[in-house]
Amino acid sequence: MDDRGLVIDRICQKFQNENGTCTEALDNISLQIRQGEIVSLLGPSGSGKSSLLNIIAGFDAPVSGNVLLDKELITEPSAQRCVVFQTPALFEWLTARDNVEFGLKRRRVPAANRRNEAGEMLRLVGLEGFEENYPHELSGGMQQRVALARAFVLHPGLLLMDEPFAALDAQLRSQMQSLLLHLWEKRRQTILFVTHDVEEAIRISHRVVILERRPGRIREEIEVPFSMDQREDLLGNSNFQELRTQIQQLIFTL
Amino acid sequence: MKRGHRRGLDPVGLILPALILIFWFAATTWGGMPEYKLPSPQKLLYVLVDFATGQFEITPYSGTLWGHLIHSLKRVASGFGLAAVCGLILGFLSGGIPIARRLVDPLIHLVRTVPGIGWLPVAIVWFGIGEGNTLFLIALASFFPIYINTVHGTSQVPEVTLRAGRMLGAKGFALFRTVILPAAFPDVAVGLRLGLGVAWAYLVLGEVTGVTEGLGAVMTDGRMLGHVDIVLATMIVIACAGKLTDVLLMTVCRAVCPQMRKGGKSNG
Repeated sequence: MDDRGLVIDRICQKFQNENGTCTEALDNISLQIRQGEIVSLLGPSGSGKSSLLNIIAGFDAPVSGNVLLDKELITEPSAQRCVVFQTPALFEWLTARDNVEFGLKRRRVPAANRRNEAGEMLRLVGLEGFEENYPHELSGGMQQRVALARAFVLHPGLLLMDEPFAALDAQLRSQMQSLLLHLWEKRRQTILFVTHDVEEAIRISHRVVILERRPGRIREEIEVPFSMDQREDLLGNSNFQELRTQIQQLIFTL
Repeated sequence: MKRGHRRGLDPVGLILPALILIFWFAATTWGGMPEYKLPSPQKLLYVLVDFATGQFEITPYSGTLWGHLIHSLKRVASGFGLAAVCGLILGFLSGGIPIARRLVDPLIHLVRTVPGIGWLPVAIVWFGIGEGNTLFLIALASFFPIYINTVHGTSQVPEVTLRAGRMLGAKGFALFRTVILPAAFPDVAVGLRLGLGVAWAYLVLGEVTGVTEGLGAVMTDGRMLGHVDIVLATMIVIACAGKLTDVLLMTVCRAVCPQMRKGGKSNG
């Protein structure tokens, strides 16, 4: 077992419904993610992907089981496990720059360093010139890029992404995926990426973990056979198409 | 492009007041409006200046404006201050902690059903006639808009915003100070402004019922002596003082929370 990285150990989760019944969301999920790896959690809606992510992020406690990051037990949210949500969830009262600096400020990074790192990060996500804009002055795609910058700038031990590009149009989604790959190239950030988009999962990750639903269980783990430099232009690749079809058919049966 | 607030005076807004002024002047100069009901605008101006400076000595209140104004301001400040402290603390607790809300909210809304004026007799019994009951009435009435708006603002902070704050490393009081407070602040500011307006309203009510110093007292006294001019002049002073305290409040709010946004909506 790798010392660093994420270890999910027999996680079970249940939810109380309003009518009194109990839904078993996750059943004995065990998974490991190595440092520097990008892993996608792929599955139909109701497979518990977001529930698992909330447990790893520390927002919810599981009914049983543990999650460890770098051998430390996770019990609450921390800047070691930053999250990019489906909505940008930016702080409306802060500029793009102040949003990105927020986590650094909590960490007591000195002002000059904060400014530099935030500025550099915003440049990396392509928002140079928009640092002083407020969220409501930015488009949805730009806001999501600020959210990405805000999380990335903290170099978290694990970056959690909960269907972050689902609300964007296809072209924007593709651009954001490329941006993520580009950022990973620079930082080798460990990422757990939740999605229901098969192409997206294959394109950006080293490994795809497929969840089935009712209750959520790991159905299969697939190593993506393409090197990271091949990821930009996969659509024409016949192996990619084959893998995509294979996974899509599997998901269809879940 | 988003339309911003218009800075400076809007000329269209001045049309109706100007018309009223003209109509008023005409009514008193040629329309036969008796002076005991409505003095002319120019008479009122003289009375107002005299009230402030004592220059003309045309009323028993010449030059006494500042003394009365300061008394009234002290009462408003104390009453509003008390209401603000209670309203904000209870508001944040109630808005942020479900069990606290379940505990205090029902009682507060129960008390609120008795309109402020209905508390006057009880206030006189408990505090006697004078400073005590005035302060009680101002604080009581002013409390509710502050509390209600603070609860609303705090409880409306989206769950995902709180989670964002937490995953970026904000915990406990830091989460309150850096996320909850700025997010809730537009509503809190609305509550404070309403509370201040109510404080002025109940100030007059309180002062009208038995204190000897203060703008409300001048109004009651003036009416009883048949000096409707001083009553109107005092109303103008109250309006101006109210406006100034409102501007002061907004300045303080902006100083506390400089990043207070005026309800910006996102495009994307």
